[in-house]
Formats: sequence, structure tokens, C-alpha cells
Amino acid sequence: MTTPTLEVSGVYKSFPGVKALADVGLVLRPGAVHALLGENGAGKSTLIKIVTGVYQPDAGELQLEGRAVRFSGPRAAIAAGIGAVHQERNLIPRFSVGENIGLERLGGGWLKGVDYAALHADARKWLDVLELDIDTRLPVSELNVARRQLVEIAKALSLRSRVLLLDEPTASLTPQEAQVLFRVLRKLRSEGASLLLVSHKLEEVQEICDEVTVLRDGRNACANQPMAGLVRQDLVRLMIGRNEIIPSVSPRTREDAPTLLELRGVSTALGHAKIDLSVRKGEIVGLYGLVGAGRTELAKCVLGLHRITAGELLVEGEPRRIGSVAEAIHRHGIGYVSEDRKQEGLILAHSVLDNAGITVWRKLSGRLGLLRDGAVRARVGPIISELEVRTPSLAQTVGNLSGGNQQKVSVAKWLAAGVKILMVDEPTVGVDVKTKAYIHELLRRLAQDGAAILLISSDMPEMIALADRIVVMDGYRITGELANSRVYDPMSEAIMACIHRTAA
Amino acid sequence: MKLAALPRADWFGPLAIVILASIVITAFDPSFLSPFNIQILLLAASVNVVVAMSQMIIIAIGQMNLAIGAIGGFAAITFAGLMQVWSFPPPLAAVCALGLGAAAGLFNGALIARTGVSAFVITLASLSIFKGADLGITRAQPFYGVPASVKAFGNATMIGPIPWLALPAAVVVIGMWRLLYRQKVGRFILAVGGNSSAAELSGVSIERTTLWAHGLSGFLAALAGIMLVGRLQLGQPSIGDDWLILSFAAPVIGGAALAGGHVSVFGTLLGVVIVAMITQALVIFRIDPFFVQVVLGLLILWTVGVNRLREVRLSGGRA
Repeated sequence: MTTPTLEVSGVYKSFPGVKALADVGLVLRPGAVHALLGENGAGKSTLIKIVTGVYQPDAGELQLEGRAVRFSGPRAAIAAGIGAVHQERNLIPRFSVGENIGLERLGGGWLKGVDYAALHADARKWLDVLELDIDTRLPVSELNVARRQLVEIAKALSLRSRVLLLDEPTASLTPQEAQVLFRVLRKLRSEGASLLLVSHKLEEVQEICDEVTVLRDGRNACANQPMAGLVRQDLVRLMIGRNEIIPSVSPRTREDAPTLLELRGVSTALGHAKIDLSVRKGEIVGLYGLVGAGRTELAKCVLGLHRITAGELLVEGEPRRIGSVAEAIHRHGIGYVSEDRKQEGLILAHSVLDNAGITVWRKLSGRLGLLRDGAVRARVGPIISELEVRTPSLAQTVGNLSGGNQQKVSVAKWLAAGVKILMVDEPTVGVDVKTKAYIHELLRRLAQDGAAILLISSDMPEMIALADRIVVMDGYRITGELANSRVYDPMSEAIMACIHRTAA
Repeated sequence: MKLAALPRADWFGPLAIVILASIVITAFDPSFLSPFNIQILLLAASVNVVVAMSQMIIIAIGQMNLAIGAIGGFAAITFAGLMQVWSFPPPLAAVCALGLGAAAGLFNGALIARTGVSAFVITLASLSIFKGADLGITRAQPFYGVPASVKAFGNATMIGPIPWLALPAAVVVIGMWRLLYRQKVGRFILAVGGNSSAAELSGVSIERTTLWAHGLSGFLAALAGIMLVGRLQLGQPSIGDDWLILSFAAPVIGGAALAGGHVSVFGTLLGVVIVAMITQALVIFRIDPFFVQVVLGLLILWTVGVNRLREVRLSGGRA
């Protein structure tokens, strides 16, 4: 066999409190597309960040064309010929499309200055490869999510690197756009490049990839296995360590229960249009969609963070206008568990007690606005033990808890506030399989106890395991609503059909 | 640029204010546009625009520099002191003072880039260090031995009402424009200010860019200090003490985003002119000049509000 372009072996990486990667390896060969698969939190992005020099491994080795390398930062990796499309949006909004694509190659000396004509001409070339008709002088901030993603891909292609890593490159693309991308990838492959593709869409992985490496809980579930001969079920088994079992909860409907939250023909300042959505008491409604479909944004509109411009929002059957988050929580009993618990959900440097109690301080503060620790403790303590948050005491700093326990604290804070309607955004991103099961169980129990839950998730198995009904969103619109039969294959196909229908 | 896009340009609002205010003030006092008054305006604006650019470059990278006044003061007394005590010729003394300013800025930049501590804290501490050194060396007494040539440079006029001091100011404005819109270093500064992780993943060195920005900021602060020595005709240790508000006001009036990634060189220039006009207007209308601070503060709040509105509209509400 030919010399591998890139060989990763025995890589370990830990973050405070989390073992992200343990003894991970993979081999990229010239002229091959390699798939990197795994559930959310399995360590795919961490591995990519190690290969691209963003993180340094704690142990293990990277070999580029047979020589050991160590990257001090992304610059070093780019210089060595490794290009990447990262999962986070990585463009500079005020800069033009052309300048974003050519940012690392801005030339020009002190007298000459940057040659913008050449820059835009070069950018044009790469946009043409992707069959993209965008003015290279347009600021990136004026593009939609899909186009930004394509610009990032053009940027990565323009590096002409020997190794190209693509982390969920199709997450917000239509199937047509994805097909164009795949044509480009096949062409690169025939020219001898090594490509690594991370995707949660197994159909596309099987379509284009030659080899596959699967990560599970930060370890290799398989390494460099040829794709030929593997079927979807094999990949899934490798990813989750068992067959796709949908828990024994039988499909159920809650048609008799009262509707707690309802949107009728809602349009928002963020661009949602004609949204119809309802959640009944005791029901879990899933809101599925790709990254950038507008689900988190919709939740924030319901919370009163952004204006609803048309249509009606009904809470327990009454039309309401929600002007602020405080109003949403205290008057209407609506809570939101943020997707980004580190940035938006929790104050990591504060104690468990302060984090879980923050939503009830207002209610519990006595005359003169004094707040007694005892009162908060009495309210929060039982909920923390009920949720089995593993913490030595309520005074423990939240930042020191594991990801799953942090997630429980962010749920606890809404339970303490006594919310009846809970919107949960990607609740299991970055938590291990066991904690994931706990959180699923917790959400089921909350619904059983009468809460109305709106579950936002891009995790298909999670959706099918938890939701009673699944509402599909794409491009800030509802594109379908399905009763969940809890049978994976037909459900996942029906859901993807809802997305592709609008795209086509 | 299309005509309809004009009102969206950063410099459009400030320019409209400048023109309107000139008309109104001249209506009350026709001497406002006299050559003498224009000379006074230009003298004040020349130094202030360098001060404003020194802060603007740091705003561009998404940080702040509280120490520009202290660096400027330290460079000013270095310039005057070298000439008085060791009889340095003015150009050599100026080069030393500019070098000191750039070094002071690099010191800030290195600490910020290496430690990751916020620029606010680092420059607050270095403000105290530089100001303390300034006062300790001078015992708070000015250096009076400034050569006649320097005094002339700070006060004489070049052509008509245009003072010599306007020359370095013009060079700085044009240089900054080129740097930020045509030069790699300037683009990298704006890229880091706009989205530092994106810039880093594109292979931009955050550390080197931060060093550049702070080195330039210190250099410009020192230049402003030297210009003030010429204008005041002495090496006053208190030079720079009143720069801070102005240094933020002018870029913000000019449309800078305080979060970084977007500044306007010409907007900032107009911001400086607006501040100079306000100061003059208060004199003309016989209002206590101490109220300049109040008006400046209100102006900052107003422009930040307007910019915020524009930002929200720019992002289509997805702020």
C-alpha cells in the first residue's frame, strides 16, 4: 500500500473533567475519502482540532507523509498543507467574500498594498468550482447560512492542501448543493488528495467515502475499515455500540390533554414565517432540523428575546404577548434549557445553589429585597437530589461538575422556577452515552408529571426515542409534522423527506 | 458608491453634523469661519486626531488602551527632557521619544497576547506605571528648555491658516487609511477584531497582530505627546491626562464598533472635528468650558445608540 498522507496514532486528549480522546488513531491515504463517524460528543471535533493544530495532544503522534510532526498552532498546520472546514462558523462578517477566502494569503508589501483585483479573481475561481454565483465583493454578513458554509468550503479548497478535513460540511446545505460539493470532492480525490469527512448523514457517507473510522466515547470503535460491504446498520452499531434500539416506550398520543403552548401562523423579527406549533400537557414535541434551520431562534422568540411580528402565541389557550424572559418565566411558566450551557445556560464560576436558584431569587426575596440562603436551599435542595445531580454539596462550583451533571443543574434551575412549559435545546450534546440515557429518562419523567416539553435536537435517534410528535423545520419554516411511530428507519426517512422536499 | 448607499456610510452622519453645525454657529457668530478661528480649530484637531487614531487602532482589534495618555505624557517629557538636560537635537530626541512610545505599546501588547488577561486590566496597570515614571522623573515640574524650532513647529502656519502641526496629522490619517484598508497588517487587525477564532484558524497570528496594534498605538500616542510639547512650548508632565474621553469619543462618533472589527478613519477624523467645534461653540456662546465633558459624554451615548440601531438593522434583527 502507498505511504499514508497523514497518520494519527495513540492520541490522548483530556479537558478538565472530561476525557475527550483515548488512544485514537486513523490513517488517511492519498486519493481516498475517509469518513469519521461518531455520536455527538464522541470526540470527532476534538480529533479534527488536534490534526489542525488548534489543540495539542496530551500524548500520541501525528505523521505527515511518514515524518512525525507537531503543530504549535493552526498556522503551522496550514503551512504543512492541512486545510479544514470547521464546524463553527469561521468567517469574518464585515469582510468581503473574496477577502475571507484569501485571508491567509493577503499579499502586498509596504509600498504596494494588498492586490484586491488579484484577490477577488482568485476567489472567483474557487467559487466557480463550487458553481456558486456570489459577488466576491459582498460582505459575508449579507449571506445566508448555506452560502456562508459554501464560502468556507471555497476558502478551504483555495488552500490546495494535500489533506482536507471537512467537519459537517453539508449540515446546512440542500441536497443539490451537497451533490456539487461531492463532485468537487471526487475530483480532488482523483487528483490524489486525502479527504476526511465528518457527517451525521450516513447516506452521504456511504455514497462518497472509501474508508471509515468510528469513534465512540473518545475511543476507536473501528479504524480505517473499508466502506465496501458495510451497511447502514453496521455503521450505527459501531457508533452507538449496539443496534438502534428504540426504548420500549410505545407510541402515544396526548390528544385529550390541554394544549399549554401554541403558535398560530407566527412570523418573527428573525425571519420565521407562518409557524404553527402546539405542545400539550405531558407531551414531548420534537423540533427537528439541520443546523441553521431556525429552531433555537424560534425558542428565543417564544421567550420574548425577539419580536413576534405576526400571528398568535397562546399560553394555556390564552393569547399572550411576551415582552421579556422574566415575564416568560414568572408569569407564563416557560423555561429554556440552552444548547450552549457554558455560554448561556450556566454561570460556571458560581455554585450549584446559585445557578439553580437564580430563577427563583425574585420570588423568594423578602421585604427590602433580602435573600436568605436557607430559603433558596429549601427550594432547590430537593430538586437537585431528585435529579440525582452528583455534587459533593450545593456550594460546589458548577464548572467542576461533569458535563452531564452540569446539564442537570441547568434543568434544575427551571424546575425550581416551577415552569410548566420547558424548551430543551440539544440537551445531550457533549455528554456521554450513560448520562444521555439519564437525561432522556429525566425528560420522559418530566412529561409524565405533566410538563409540556419542546425538544430541539439534531440527533435523529434521540428525536425518535423521545418525541411523541416530530415537527420538522427548515429555512425558518415548518416543513412537516409527523406522529412518531418509534421505528427508526421509516421515521428517519420520513423526516429527511420533509427537509429535502423543500430543498428540491 | 451608489447615491442611495451614501447615508449608510460611516462618515455621512458626522459630515452632516459638521456642515450643519458650521452653518448654525456661523449664523450666530460670523467670525467662526475666519482664518484665525480655523487655524485654532486645526491646531486643536491636529493633535487630537493623532490621539484618536492611537485609540482607534486598538478599538479595531477589539480591545481598549487606557494607557495612551500616560504613554503620550511619558514620551512628551522624554522628548523635552532629552533636549533640555542632554541638549539632544530635536529630531534625535523625537526619534527616542517615538521609540519609547512604541516600546511601551509593545510591552502592553506582549502582556495581553501572552497572558490572555484583558487589555482593560493590563493597560490600567501600565497606565499607572507610565504615569508614575513620568511624575517621578519630573517631580511634576515641566521642562522649559524647548528649542525655538520646536516651538515654531507647534504654532507657526504653513500655508494660509494651515498650521505645520497639521502635516504630521495628515500623514497619520492617510497612513492609517492605507494601513487598515490596503495593508496586510491592518486587514489582520480588523480580522482579529471581527472574529478572532476565525482569524486564527485562517492562519493569522493573534499574538503578532496584537503586538502590531499596540506598538502602533504607543507610537501614535508618543507622536501626539511630542506635538503637544511644540504647541504648549514646554514639556508638561500632565500631557495626556485628558485624552481618554476624546480618544473613545472620536472613533465612536465616526462609527467604530466597540466590539472590534470595524472602524472608520475618516469618520474618526470628523469625530475629532466635531469635538473641536463643540469646544469652540461653547466659547462663542459663553458657556463654561468645563461643560465640554458633559456634552462629550452625551454625544458618546447618542452615537453608541445610533450605531447599535444600525447594527441591529444590518444583521436583519439577528443580533
